Amino acid sequence: MRRGIAATALVAALGVTLAACGSDSDSNGGGTQGSGELSGTVTWWDTSTVGSEDKVFKKIAEGFTKKHPKVTVKYVNVPFGEAQNKFKNAAQSGSGAPDVIRSEVAWTPEFADLGYLAPLDGTAALKDKDDFLKQAAASTQYNGKTYAVPQVIDSMGIFYNKKIFKDAGVQVPKNIDELKTVSATIKQKTGKTGLYLRGDDAYWFLSFLYGEGGNLVDAEQKKITIGDESGVKAFRTVKDLVDSKAAITDATNGWDNMQAAFKDGKVAMMINGPWAVADTLAGKEFADKANLGIAPVPAGSAGQGAPQGGHNLAVYAGSKNLDASYAFAEYMTSAETQRQVAKELSLLPTRQSVFIKPDVASNEMITFFKPVVDKAVERPWIPEGGSLFEPVKVEYTKVLTGQTTPDAGAKAVADAYRKLLKDWK
Amino acid sequence: MAVDTPSQSVAKAGPPPPPRGRGRGTGTGKPRGASKRSLSTHWYAWALVAPVVVVIAVIIGYPLIRGIYLSLTNANERNVARSIGVNNIPATYEFVGLDNYAEAISGNQFLGTLGWTVVWTVSCVAVTFGLGLALANILNRRIAGRSVYRMLLILPWAVPPFVSVFAWRFLYDERRGMLNQILSGAGLDAVPWLNDPTVAKLAVIAVNVWLGVPFMMVALLGGLQSIPGELYEAAEMDGANAWQRFRHITMPGLRSVSTTVLLLSTIWTFNMFPVIFLLTRGGPGEATQILVTQAYKFSFEISPRDFAQSSTWGVLILILLMVFAAFYQRVLRKQGEVW
Amino acid sequence: MTTTTPTARPVNAPVRGRRSPLASAGLHLTLIVASAIAVFPVLWVLLTSLKPAKYATTTDFFKETTLENYTNLLNDTPFLSWFWNSLLVAVLTTLVGVFISATTGYAVSRFRFPGKRGLMWTLLITQMFPVAVLIVPIYNIMGSLGLLNRSAGLVITYLTIAVPFCAWMMKGFFDTIPREIDESGYVDGLTPFGTFWRLILPLAKPGIAVTAFYSFITAWGEVAYASAFMVGDENLTLAGGLQKFVNQYGAQWGPMSAASVLIAVPAALVFLFAQRHLVTGMSAGAVKG
Repeated sequence: MRRGIAATALVAALGVTLAACGSDSDSNGGGTQGSGELSGTVTWWDTSTVGSEDKVFKKIAEGFTKKHPKVTVKYVNVPFGEAQNKFKNAAQSGSGAPDVIRSEVAWTPEFADLGYLAPLDGTAALKDKDDFLKQAAASTQYNGKTYAVPQVIDSMGIFYNKKIFKDAGVQVPKNIDELKTVSATIKQKTGKTGLYLRGDDAYWFLSFLYGEGGNLVDAEQKKITIGDESGVKAFRTVKDLVDSKAAITDATNGWDNMQAAFKDGKVAMMINGPWAVADTLAGKEFADKANLGIAPVPAGSAGQGAPQGGHNLAVYAGSKNLDASYAFAEYMTSAETQRQVAKELSLLPTRQSVFIKPDVASNEMITFFKPVVDKAVERPWIPEGGSLFEPVKVEYTKVLTGQTTPDAGAKAVADAYRKLLKDWK
Repeated sequence: MAVDTPSQSVAKAGPPPPPRGRGRGTGTGKPRGASKRSLSTHWYAWALVAPVVVVIAVIIGYPLIRGIYLSLTNANERNVARSIGVNNIPATYEFVGLDNYAEAISGNQFLGTLGWTVVWTVSCVAVTFGLGLALANILNRRIAGRSVYRMLLILPWAVPPFVSVFAWRFLYDERRGMLNQILSGAGLDAVPWLNDPTVAKLAVIAVNVWLGVPFMMVALLGGLQSIPGELYEAAEMDGANAWQRFRHITMPGLRSVSTTVLLLSTIWTFNMFPVIFLLTRGGPGEATQILVTQAYKFSFEISPRDFAQSSTWGVLILILLMVFAAFYQRVLRKQGEVW
Repeated sequence: MTTTTPTARPVNAPVRGRRSPLASAGLHLTLIVASAIAVFPVLWVLLTSLKPAKYATTTDFFKETTLENYTNLLNDTPFLSWFWNSLLVAVLTTLVGVFISATTGYAVSRFRFPGKRGLMWTLLITQMFPVAVLIVPIYNIMGSLGLLNRSAGLVITYLTIAVPFCAWMMKGFFDTIPREIDESGYVDGLTPFGTFWRLILPLAKPGIAVTAFYSFITAWGEVAYASAFMVGDENLTLAGGLQKFVNQYGAQWGPMSAASVLIAVPAALVFLFAQRHLVTGMSAGAVKG
């Protein structure tokens, strides 16, 4: 790897030289600004949805130049599904990584643990940090340091088609039992299916697990809990929903089929989060936006809750332009920016002060999701957080397609976790 | 190719052309030392192969050797060397000997995946070969519109796999896919193409066959065209029926083409990453996961990325295929095939 | 289909066919069914691209024909820059790939030299090792050579995929060219390279056609390296760019299907160009391989 190091050093040296040249020419140009002015390029990897969210974020990101005219913002949209891998490839090799990345909440501790992120305490990136929602700030902490700034927060609820509910004469189900009876009535009255259960992504399984009072792991006690009775029950619940025809599911194309089935009015309900609102409202059933109802996820036998998610902005530790990157992260998470994002995209802010702004407080989606987020179940913010899903996904799909039993499935996930989390109970 | 032994090359090579550099600077002095002589006699050949050797050595050779080394360690994403900007984190993984191999071979996961990979390879290659042979035989006749048929049949090869596999994925979709819409139009029940473990296995095999038939067909068609027509005529005069002619003229005539395409096709199918990855990602559950997609999963889709295990599986795949190739060559040689 | 054993003469048999009309009909039926299956998915994409995205998953193919998917794709997305990037990579891979496979194939076919056997084995083994596992180490090499996010990096990587097969095809093809031609070249005072370039290469057109086709298709359709190495709209190749339209979080049918059709066009052109030689080239390579 010696060559690699040499090359990196060379590139770094080159970067420094270029930067020096840049500032030289600037001062030659007769600039009057003080030496503290930010300059250079900030590359930002955004992972927002292409076609709707990305345009807004690009516009906002490039607006940074208005405040800091000598900084060029390079906006790069990397598909969410690829971003984690791409960032890891780039960060470990020392070349090709961006300065700032939009990091999903579960990635943040993992990247931090691998040494890829710059600690932000005491930098310009963290401004008014007491203003951030506590649960949003929690995911940015690792080993007592702050490695990211919360950008948006989210959770999940039941999306329902009000017209179908009216036709069937039913109310929004509050728990799993009601979900089943409501679905049966809907089927009987309208011939439509009650719920689309996303079967190819473990994230959609979590609310059922929380409903049985379970969790994947107990991070405080260092205990693996998915194999417990609550985990088995949760697997039984989802299997029963599919077997009883209260729900349909797919092992592939889940997202697309879910959105299509709901948008075309083929199913009456789905479980989803704020990120799906824009796409859902584009569907033909929701030409009248008022037809979309959102309610808390149904409770299980021992509780109710949906996972807390969201995105942070993190700064790459190897960035050659750390100061501008800190400022950029701050700008993108400032109250003003969050307010604009909330207004244009209905994404939930992470700052308390933004929620009380009139134009945000009157946003229907945000008003609905705010209490959901307040009650959302915090995920374990451990470096392995991102790796907890893959074993669940495999067994979840296996259970739903009848390849294994709920008991064996829960046990298999627990076994996989034991390999991952050494010394945990 | 690789099985071409020097003795055979000599046998068919005849007197090798004098590859000395005429009129070039290097060949002027009379070389004395053995190495010098070897350089002067062979520099032409070496120069001709040098680009390939350099590219392969750098891009495949180094990672391959590193892969073999990593498979003997407990390397993962957290303990390998990383360079973050100017900070370099040194590697802290340890040498663990053959532990990874012992674990892979004794565990269910490797053997289970291997079992399906073998089923997948054998069925894909067998069906592809059968269909390719049948179509090649038909196309080798005088038949109206032959060149049109041939072009249409080669089409799956000409379309980039990520486009066609993507198309298949949506044709297969249980709820909105074309196949189920056709079935329901015919009054039949929807088939859970990619949602049921068994059906999904058949579905991925079908797509791979669809992709693989053109190559097979073209290769076998070439083989058929190189069989002299007189052989068939003579056989017909002797009263041989169609089956006998196929059995005793066509099959032996295709033998050398078949042996090579079967070997290649087996290797390619065994490692056919895109079809599985783009179609099912190994799902539902792990029903269609083959060795190579699982190895990819170890080094990309789980975290921390498990480089040691991924490399171990990679090396095991390599060993399995090398053993297969050696075995294949030996069987052929026993049957008197000069290869 | 497998039941159709030859009942008539092969093409090169001199006597005209005496096939019964029934057998003819059977053959045509088989070919029509097979062609339909071969074409079906491609045709489906083509038809889907010509209708509004909202009908994408319906069977009403001719309800509303429109080119809006194409105009949107070309106007609103960086499709054209992805297309040029891909074309550049594929053309470079083809040119370099054909050249070095030809030289390698020629060397291995004509000369005996130390390391020949090892080289032949290496060419086979590189096809056996699952390259999916090598992405991270290759990424690091490209990083230290400064080739990330550059066409050259992808070209070099694709050469490692295409060249082993191509070199071996070319060897098989050169084996079918009589050695007397080389010898006549030496008699005329040509160097080995001159002989190769002026005499042998022109005779190897079918082999080159296959090699070019294979290299182009490989480079044009590769996904894994392309999406690992390239980032940013202006650098992406088609394989990476298209993942923006279709990924885990949504499928944009309109641009995706239109893009798929436009992607298939250059591949089909290369194919048309090569197909005349495809059969002879492949068989010569494979027979003698």
